[in-house]
Amino acid sequence: MKKRGLNLPEERTFKGPALVWKRFLAFLTDFLIINLVLFFPFKRLIQSSMPEFGSFSETYAYLISNQSYTQALTVVSLAMSIFALFYFALLEYKIQQTPGKMLLKISVIGEKKEVRFWQYLVRSLFIIPIFPFFLLWVLDPLFLFLTKTNQRLSEILSKTKTVEEYIIR
Amino acid sequence: MEKQKSKWHTAIKLILILAIISFVVSWIISFFIGTDIIDGNVAIIPISGVIMSEKTRSFGQSIASAPSIVGFIEEADRNPKIKAVIFEINSPGGTPVGSEEIVSAIKKLNKTSVAYIKDIGASGAYWVASATDYIFASRMSITGSVGVIGSYMEFSGLLKDYNVTYQRLVAGKYKDIGSPFKELTYDEERILQKQIDLMQEYFLDDVLKNRNLPKERIEEVKTAKIFSGIEAKEAGLIDEFGGKEEAIKFIEDRLNITAETSEFAEKTSLLDVLSEIMNEKSFFVGKGIGSSMLEPRSSNRIEVWT
Repeated sequence: MKKRGLNLPEERTFKGPALVWKRFLAFLTDFLIINLVLFFPFKRLIQSSMPEFGSFSETYAYLISNQSYTQALTVVSLAMSIFALFYFALLEYKIQQTPGKMLLKISVIGEKKEVRFWQYLVRSLFIIPIFPFFLLWVLDPLFLFLTKTNQRLSEILSKTKTVEEYIIR
Repeated sequence: MEKQKSKWHTAIKLILILAIISFVVSWIISFFIGTDIIDGNVAIIPISGVIMSEKTRSFGQSIASAPSIVGFIEEADRNPKIKAVIFEINSPGGTPVGSEEIVSAIKKLNKTSVAYIKDIGASGAYWVASATDYIFASRMSITGSVGVIGSYMEFSGLLKDYNVTYQRLVAGKYKDIGSPFKELTYDEERILQKQIDLMQEYFLDDVLKNRNLPKERIEEVKTAKIFSGIEAKEAGLIDEFGGKEEAIKFIEDRLNITAETSEFAEKTSLLDVLSEIMNEKSFFVGKGIGSSMLEPRSSNRIEVWT
């Protein structure tokens, strides 16, 4: 008997907005890597310079009273956020993905074919904890849930989007 | 599959590069911020130079700015890590208001306070020391001088000699009291002396309270004479002979801690250093020119330095 192959239609793929839970999980994974690898030397610096206190109120009182330490802490946190920003921007620029996104099989693409480095920087500006960027902590999730394309405000501004591949059979 | 593998390679490489840079950056930052961090448990606040009630600059003369010192005292008080404060005094005194501001801040301090007097801790500077819990001084330190001085130069005679007249135009009998261009009247002298006496009374009264001095010592202290460290110890103006080390040891014994000191002092920028050098150079150039014009070629003055 002659075997006949099934004449199924070819698989077709298209890129659509990545699911929010995947994006969230990818971000958490990336943040874990950043925390473990990039923030490690800075955390060591803070721990070595920060005296040990028994309570939060004591730590708070110390920070309030010690202006130079607070300023130093601001410099350190700014440096940390810049490293986090470059983690996202560089990886997305080079391979359109971060380890978190690779694990969750989502990627970043531009609205136009060519995406410049500044666009990747702009889409991750929410990481910088200074005005006006920290406003994005509220605005970004709002836009993510309210827009049809599930784009964060910084994604709209940078003309990029986070997508995943969908298969149509 | 191969493409995915290559992406992981690139990602790991980039993360490693960023990690190395973050190590380097944190190491550089540690150099810059290390000196600013107050990490000790004993604050050292220097009071060096003439105590002034404002942040002023002076040619060739160091100034102990009361607002800055008060700020440091308050900062040390708020800082839970700081358990005690040492005042490193090397000052001839200063303005009554500036001195009182510091005294008042020390009294509000809820931590152990110790003063040690270096070369000089007289007048307002001694008042500051007296407000602390314990005073150390060297046997050769100069202290005391619990008095008020309001002397000034009067030029009325000189003006007369040069046929210059002081045209007195005042509304209020004593408006120009203490003007160097006119002779002080008996009434005016009485008024000024009364003010100075009142100031000394307040100053003396506070020092006596702070030090709990015996009555028989009051008259001696009241004369505003200066005391050497040895005399000051006998008079009860200081507690012990010693310097910084003894002050630290005292705190360690009293609080049962291992003292780590942190200096609370004005940060000097490069600009400050340069302007200070310029000021001093100009001051000494001027002084040199002035001296060469006034002094005889062979001076028989005896200068004593120790």
